[in-house]
Amino acid sequence: MATQIIHKKSFIENPRSSCALGGALITIGMMPDVIPIVHASLGCAGNLSGAISMGGGSLGSGYCGGASIPTSGITETEIVFGGADRLREQISSTLELLDAKLFVVATGCMTEMIGDDVQGVVNEFDGEPVIAVSTPSFKGDSYTGYEIVLDGIFNRYLPKIPLKDEKLVNLFGLVPAYDPFFRGDLEELARLIERLGLRANTFFTPDQTFENILSAPAASLNIVFSHVWGVPFVERFESKHRTPYWTTDLPIGAEASDRFLIELGKLMGVSEALVQSVIESENNYYYRYFERAADMFSNAGYKFYAETVTNSNYAIPITSYIERELGWVAREAFVTDQALPAQQRLLRDAFNASGLSSELIFETDTTQIAKEITNRHPQSHGERFFAAEKPVFILGSALERETAVKRGAFHLTISYPAAGRLILNRGYAGYKGGLNLFEDILGGERVPNV
Amino acid sequence: MNYFDQKIQPVRDQRLTIIDSFCGGGCDLLDCARSGCALRQNRRFWQANACQMALTIMMASTVENAQIIMHGPIGCGQQMNGLVAQGNRGRVSRGLPMIAPRPWLSTNLKESDVIGGGEQKLREAIEFADREYRPEIIFVISTCAPNIIGDDVEEVVCRAQETTAATVVGLHCPGFKSRVVASAYDAFYHGLLRHLKFEPEPYKDFLPLDENNPEYERTMHRFQFEKRRTVNIFNATSIGAQDEQELTRLLEALGLKVRIFAEYSSLDKMRMISHAALNVSMCNVHDDYMLSFLKEKYGMPYVIAGMPLGVKATREWLLAIAKHFGLEEQANRLADAEEARVNEAIEPFLPKLRGKRVLLCGGIVRVGVEAVMLSELGMDVIGARLYHYDTGADPIIEDMADNLPDMQVAVSNQIFELVNQVNTYKPDLMVSHAGTHGWLARTGVPSVQLFNAMESRFAYNGLFTIISRMALALENPSYEKRLAAHTRLPYKESWYEKNPFSYLKS
Ligand code: SF4
Repeated sequence: MATQIIHKKSFIENPRSSCALGGALITIGMMPDVIPIVHASLGCAGNLSGAISMGGGSLGSGYCGGASIPTSGITETEIVFGGADRLREQISSTLELLDAKLFVVATGCMTEMIGDDVQGVVNEFDGEPVIAVSTPSFKGDSYTGYEIVLDGIFNRYLPKIPLKDEKLVNLFGLVPAYDPFFRGDLEELARLIERLGLRANTFFTPDQTFENILSAPAASLNIVFSHVWGVPFVERFESKHRTPYWTTDLPIGAEASDRFLIELGKLMGVSEALVQSVIESENNYYYRYFERAADMFSNAGYKFYAETVTNSNYAIPITSYIERELGWVAREAFVTDQALPAQQRLLRDAFNASGLSSELIFETDTTQIAKEITNRHPQSHGERFFAAEKPVFILGSALERETAVKRGAFHLTISYPAAGRLILNRGYAGYKGGLNLFEDILGGERVPNV
Repeated sequence: MNYFDQKIQPVRDQRLTIIDSFCGGGCDLLDCARSGCALRQNRRFWQANACQMALTIMMASTVENAQIIMHGPIGCGQQMNGLVAQGNRGRVSRGLPMIAPRPWLSTNLKESDVIGGGEQKLREAIEFADREYRPEIIFVISTCAPNIIGDDVEEVVCRAQETTAATVVGLHCPGFKSRVVASAYDAFYHGLLRHLKFEPEPYKDFLPLDENNPEYERTMHRFQFEKRRTVNIFNATSIGAQDEQELTRLLEALGLKVRIFAEYSSLDKMRMISHAALNVSMCNVHDDYMLSFLKEKYGMPYVIAGMPLGVKATREWLLAIAKHFGLEEQANRLADAEEARVNEAIEPFLPKLRGKRVLLCGGIVRVGVEAVMLSELGMDVIGARLYHYDTGADPIIEDMADNLPDMQVAVSNQIFELVNQVNTYKPDLMVSHAGTHGWLARTGVPSVQLFNAMESRFAYNGLFTIISRMALALENPSYEKRLAAHTRLPYKESWYEKNPFSYLKS
């Protein structure tokens, strides 16, 4: 089932993404030994980093993020006379001072509007590890910024590697911060992939080095955990580096992870016996924990109607988990990305193919989502027998907390902005992630916590 | 020159002498400001900071029943998602009820708007906000993009006012106009003074009486008496409820009535601004713009007398107010009694602090006042890092330069310089601005928050708090030491061999 609400308003309420520059900054800053140089006013990088850190579950500054990001800091003078000289000076002082294997110049709206020739300035630094990407705010949101950076580094900067490594895969699609559990998810995915005798480049987890970036073109497969974000990027990756790609859903919980391992095994030519033995041991691990919580879960009568409010990457995975692992009745899956109609179609097709029973709705605004939930699920006005769908559990961003409180529903923050959560290596992907999500739904992270 | 009638206020750089890149002594800084060398100060390397828009929305988002519309691309104002929670903490600590988070809007300017202009989108957003959320005030935040494409935001605001129920206020704070974040104070107050009323209204705030009414004289007398004893204090984001309460307590002890503006205030409360005898600032670089406007418009005198940090500055601050009411003698007696108590209270902590090398970093007024205060308490203040210099802070810097003539004074909000300073001068303790503490911990130095709106910093309670905080910070440095040992900072080794200020240029 799938419908779509056409968004008629030209403005947006509580946007759940910053601009392309914001997405670029967090993507660059999460990569090992890569440092951004922002060509914009001093404020942009500072403001964006603070906001993204908060929304990404207190993600923090990292190696050279936040208030350490080199910035051309253009002012009115450069707006009038051009910012190329300031940028040139900033790049050369950055190369002098900072230690990195790659520097990525990213532009803000004002330097694009005044038409600075950023690529021209960067070209002057021939032989130095500096590249430029164009990421003005008006080009798109942070998900677009993520794609622009990947394109710049993997499809433009990295040279071709003639020999493929048949055991190596690259993981794409999870957007740092905007998928707040990206690190835990990637670590679990890498662990599972390694159990099949393969290796994964995750690019954003602490174990990664610049070598992982350099080796990416040699990978035999790109796995994209998104039907929307990163797909055009891996298409271009394939035409440059000849690495095929596979778009799939982030597997959350045992049921989805079993399917993931089987399909990956087939794609990578892993013996069926090995895949089966991994699945068996992982299920044994998973269910010995899961069944212990079953007492609490079942005795408390934790059966809910569920609403999910996520970006497009998490819509299918989270709905699949609550329908197939928890046996809840998933009603609506709100997707809050500013996806273009063509992108929406991609997700809708995947959603329809997934066989999930909830309804996919594209809506960016918090108030509108709350209204939509109310319209679809009228509440009793004192009637004796009223078929209100109760109880309700909303899995969404921190913005949905209020919506849940007003309805007397339960709430868990699982999507951006994940304000109020501290997310380190916690992930929801795979078997271990499925257990984490179970813990969070049953335990201390849920609101109200009774 | 009169700025108040202009659609858009000047930034600090146009109105005052500004320095944001400097290193020398206190006197050198004043010389530089007065000789014109200020204009040439710059850096070859810059790191990210906030912009005036960021501080403007911090203030605007605290105002009661106010709706924020960010006019710009989708990235500007993302921090609003966090300011809602911060605002609620501030409300609750002031005894105001917790509120459901008010949504905010972004006009989400796209490529086509950059070409065709964003005014129509803004008009629609204002209409929608007025209808949908029913706020009392709509703050329209004008960011960089509309100012480059030439949107006449103030014109849209004024036109919209004709049809909206809410009072629409334009706050013009594009980041590129100034590297000085403190320009935000002027942006915020300029919007308020252009669009809000500061006079009590009949039948809203008082019941007008006929002159022949037998009650007339008595009522007028009471009305005027109240006004003559009322002071307005102007707060800011770095000033917490506990600070406001401490100052209110002291002024009430002198028999004065205290009102606090403009954060956590409202349309109704702000109409009472002109119904007071005196406007009082808590910081030389916050609100001179607003206070001079109120003087010009209502003939209200004002006091800008530093920041009440530590016993000396607090006494000066209190006396400056008391003088206006002829209450100096009472204020001195009050200060004597308070000082005796607080000195006794901090005494046990002082042995732990005496001789400790401390580096201060943050707003010019706080750092200037605290530098003198901490050195008088026996600490070795090895340097002051000021986020910016402007002429308003001259009395503070003069005092600092007199008391600590040899101390290094830098004007810097740059982390690379901070990290190098810590590495070179090895302070035992930092007292520093919000946002720096993570970097300080990574360099292995314990730090105390220069301000914390959830704690007390002002006057006697504040002195006790910061002193006990400093003693606690020195207590167990394991966290900083271990973190520093296991963290790689992004600078090349060669950076630490250079002078921390070698990227300054003039
Ligand atoms: S500097 Fe301008 S574009 Fe950047 S965040 Fe501030 S207002 Fe927005």
